[in-house]
Amino acid sequence: MAIAKELCYPSPLGMTKDRSEVLQGTLDLMVLKTLDALGPLHGYGVARRIEQLSEETLRLNEGTVYASLLRLLQKGWIRSEWGASENNRRAKFYSITRAGRKHLARETESWERISGVIGRVLRLGSQH
Amino acid sequence: MLRELLSRIQGSFRRRRLEQEFDDEVRSHLEMLKERFIARGMDPAEAFYAARRQFGGVTQVKQDFRERRSVPVFYVLLEDVRQAFSRLRKAKRFTAAAALTLALGIGAGAAVFAVLDTVVLRPLPYPEPGRLMAFRSVDQRGTPHHLSYPDFFDFRKHNRVFEHLVCYRDAAFTLTDSLPPIQVAGAIVSWDLFPMLGVQPALGRGFLPEEENPGTHTVLLSHRLWKSRFGGDPGILGRAVRINGVPFTVIGVGPPGFQFPAEAAAVELWVTLSEDATARDQRGARMLDAIGRLKPGVSARQAQSEMDQLAGALARQYPGNKNVARTLVLPELRRLAGSSLKPLLVLAGAVAMLLLIACVNTANLLLARNAERAREFALRTALGASRLAIVRQMLTEGLALGLLGAGGGVLLSFGALKAVLPLAGDSVPRLSDTSIDARVLAFSIALAVLTSVLFSFAPAVQAARADPAGALKEGARTIARGHDRFRSGLVVVQITLGLVLLVAAELLAAGFLHLVHRDLGFRAGELLTFDVGLAEPNVTRQIAFCDRMLEHLRAIPGVQAAATGTPLPLEGHQMRAAFDIEQRPAAAPDRPRCDTAIVTPGYFRAMGIPLLKGRDFSERDDAQAAPILVVNQAFARKYFPGEDVIGKRIRPGLGPTPAMREIVGVVGDAKQAALGADPDPIYYYPYKQLPWFLGTVVLRTVVPPLAVESAARAAVASLDRHVAIHGIRTGKERSAAAIAQMQFVTTLMGGFAIIALLLAGAGLYGVLSYAVARRRGEIGVRIALGAAHKEVLGLVFRQAMSLVAAGLVLGLAGAAAASRVLGTMIYGIRPGDPLILAGACCMLVITGIAAAYVPAARAASVDPMQALRSE
Repeated sequence: MAIAKELCYPSPLGMTKDRSEVLQGTLDLMVLKTLDALGPLHGYGVARRIEQLSEETLRLNEGTVYASLLRLLQKGWIRSEWGASENNRRAKFYSITRAGRKHLARETESWERISGVIGRVLRLGSQH
Repeated sequence: MLRELLSRIQGSFRRRRLEQEFDDEVRSHLEMLKERFIARGMDPAEAFYAARRQFGGVTQVKQDFRERRSVPVFYVLLEDVRQAFSRLRKAKRFTAAAALTLALGIGAGAAVFAVLDTVVLRPLPYPEPGRLMAFRSVDQRGTPHHLSYPDFFDFRKHNRVFEHLVCYRDAAFTLTDSLPPIQVAGAIVSWDLFPMLGVQPALGRGFLPEEENPGTHTVLLSHRLWKSRFGGDPGILGRAVRINGVPFTVIGVGPPGFQFPAEAAAVELWVTLSEDATARDQRGARMLDAIGRLKPGVSARQAQSEMDQLAGALARQYPGNKNVARTLVLPELRRLAGSSLKPLLVLAGAVAMLLLIACVNTANLLLARNAERAREFALRTALGASRLAIVRQMLTEGLALGLLGAGGGVLLSFGALKAVLPLAGDSVPRLSDTSIDARVLAFSIALAVLTSVLFSFAPAVQAARADPAGALKEGARTIARGHDRFRSGLVVVQITLGLVLLVAAELLAAGFLHLVHRDLGFRAGELLTFDVGLAEPNVTRQIAFCDRMLEHLRAIPGVQAAATGTPLPLEGHQMRAAFDIEQRPAAAPDRPRCDTAIVTPGYFRAMGIPLLKGRDFSERDDAQAAPILVVNQAFARKYFPGEDVIGKRIRPGLGPTPAMREIVGVVGDAKQAALGADPDPIYYYPYKQLPWFLGTVVLRTVVPPLAVESAARAAVASLDRHVAIHGIRTGKERSAAAIAQMQFVTTLMGGFAIIALLLAGAGLYGVLSYAVARRRGEIGVRIALGAAHKEVLGLVFRQAMSLVAAGLVLGLAGAAAASRVLGTMIYGIRPGDPLILAGACCMLVITGIAAAYVPAARAASVDPMQALRSE
């Protein structure tokens, strides 16, 4: 599966409403979880972590990570500040906020419930 | 959601910095990726591309970031408007023409709105102004009347719908506490004026109910008077101030800026109706206005029906009192706008039409510009711009134009109001408060948005329809004939609307000129009038003062005649009284009734009203002499048709002992009402037989009237230093004031018509110029084939005239309808004058010829060789 290109073109009126909303939401959740688990990270770090975890099953344009980070920033679930990276490059570090943790807990629970249901349904079909 | 929006709005304003930061972020990400690939063994160039591949489209990410971070609509709009302005800057001549057109339209709209807003829409400056109602009694025929004190007391006592019902009337007062005496405008009111309005005095208190009792003299001062005359001394409370020679106790000072009645000029003090002690039991002395505050939850209609019932009871109790058949309860705001409402609505209608013409003109300009830009649009479409994007571009360009126009329009309206407002004098209540305020600005911007949608709609649709393949073909005629027809149609619409406006303006101008040149029945030139603030209750002394004053005034060099009279011509039906005709007695409700006035001997000579028959009053016609009257011609014709009126006797119901009075003279008809059509019947009393009060002084001069002003002041002061003269006006000023409102409306309408004419001419010019440019080749061929200069000129003029003719034909129906409406809205308009219609048509034809001249000359001077070569 590839999140190749976000199918969102800014409509001239109103906020963007994306067709790949589900995938976006998933990516946001992964980014949020990453920041929750590893503490403050820059965009590059987030991309590395997701790459590592998905074991190459999820190939993504790393630029989309920034779209995700911006969305999370705008919702107030993460915050950012400038710092120095490992090799002393200026980089923006993102960290999860309290509201972000709350949201993550809520989303994790609902994700598990839904994926559980979907899993059961799919298994049901394969028995016949 | 809100948080996101806030962050986006914030983002919109810190765009540049945020973008820089994001660039840095992306760059360092790419660097790190590249280093990683190098570490895995790639060479630097390979690693650079690998990093870019893995990151994805850098530009897309940045664009995405930009759009997500700011409010999209806001951002897109801002960007579009910025681009639109930069495109407009490049097309200077087009922009100037379109913006000027819109500025004229929007400016006129803003000016009329400012006036309408101030005079009609703006609420009264009191708390809960919606509950303030004007109250009048109404006779059987539905004519509203003033109230008398007994009527007012009855209404006040029995009504259950008003929290407070207050009567008031204007009066002039002389402050005689120190020298020189000053004359100020004041109002005589019932005690609860302040509670009724919901206003607290700045100092002291309002009146108490018992202060209405005769013999108590209390006064509330205006803030202005308190500051100017008494130095803002807070110790003024409780002090006695001499007004009209009588000591009044100051009980309070009104709040700063407080004004009541709202339409009066600078009211400086208020006293209670205890000052009207003599009138309080005269049921026939109708001189009061009334205003009330409705109880909460009571509607105007409920109040009206309750008051009507009270009026019915009063009418049964006093059968002779036929002016109190019903009542009228109407919002005070509506009463204030009163007679000026209809003319203002006429102006609003005219300005709407003007705005439409301006829109059409701008649309035409845009269409012409589109023709030049066809390739640009085609190219953009071919490169993948959506139709929507092109429509959006056109609309934002329109909006930018509209905003430019609104800016210019506000400036224009500012100047226009400055020039035009003084014309109205004080004929429209509250008009002088008109200013360009935030509401007018908001209205102008709204107009800009509305008009921009109107005028850019057709051009936008047309641009979006452009066929890229056709337009990009070399030398192709991109815009089809249909487009020309559409533009011609727009010009026809302009001429149609222009005709309607022209006819309306001509009708008004004709009506106005008729008013200016009509026979007023008296000679307004070389006439000086003023009031004398004499407060002398003793009749004998008052008459003596009057005699001596007129003697002194007559002695002034340059004064030919001096007299007093009240009311003067053009002052309206201020005094009307019923009378019995000796030969034909009638029952009380059917007694004839008309205007009356009280004048001194020599009044008719001073006013320039001719004596037609019989004699004038003389000094001997005093209280001891036989009771007599002089009447005007209209009176003689109406009440004694075909008879000799001299020697006839009538008994007017004025004065303590009404007597049969013999008519001894007939004078010419002087206009009593400012705008009446027919002469009003009137009968004149000799002052000494009805010395109610000192009338207005009129001086007939042989020098310019204002030259004797200071001598007149000195003459009055020499009699009594405590008497002030005020309200000095020349006869010309009086006759001008009577038609000021008409002058105001006519001037504005004339201005609108001229603008409409210019715009229609400009529109026609544009279409013809374009047509000539497009047909250059064809014209070249014609000339090459031997067409004469004249024929080529004719070609263009024919096109011009066919457009004008079409516009006129369509406009005739509109003009007829508009003049009928105008006739019902404004006094003195006589619709259906064929000359007026012909005049308007002529003006449009001349405009058409003028507009066609340049394009026609250009066509005739086409060089066939050049024209054909460029084909």
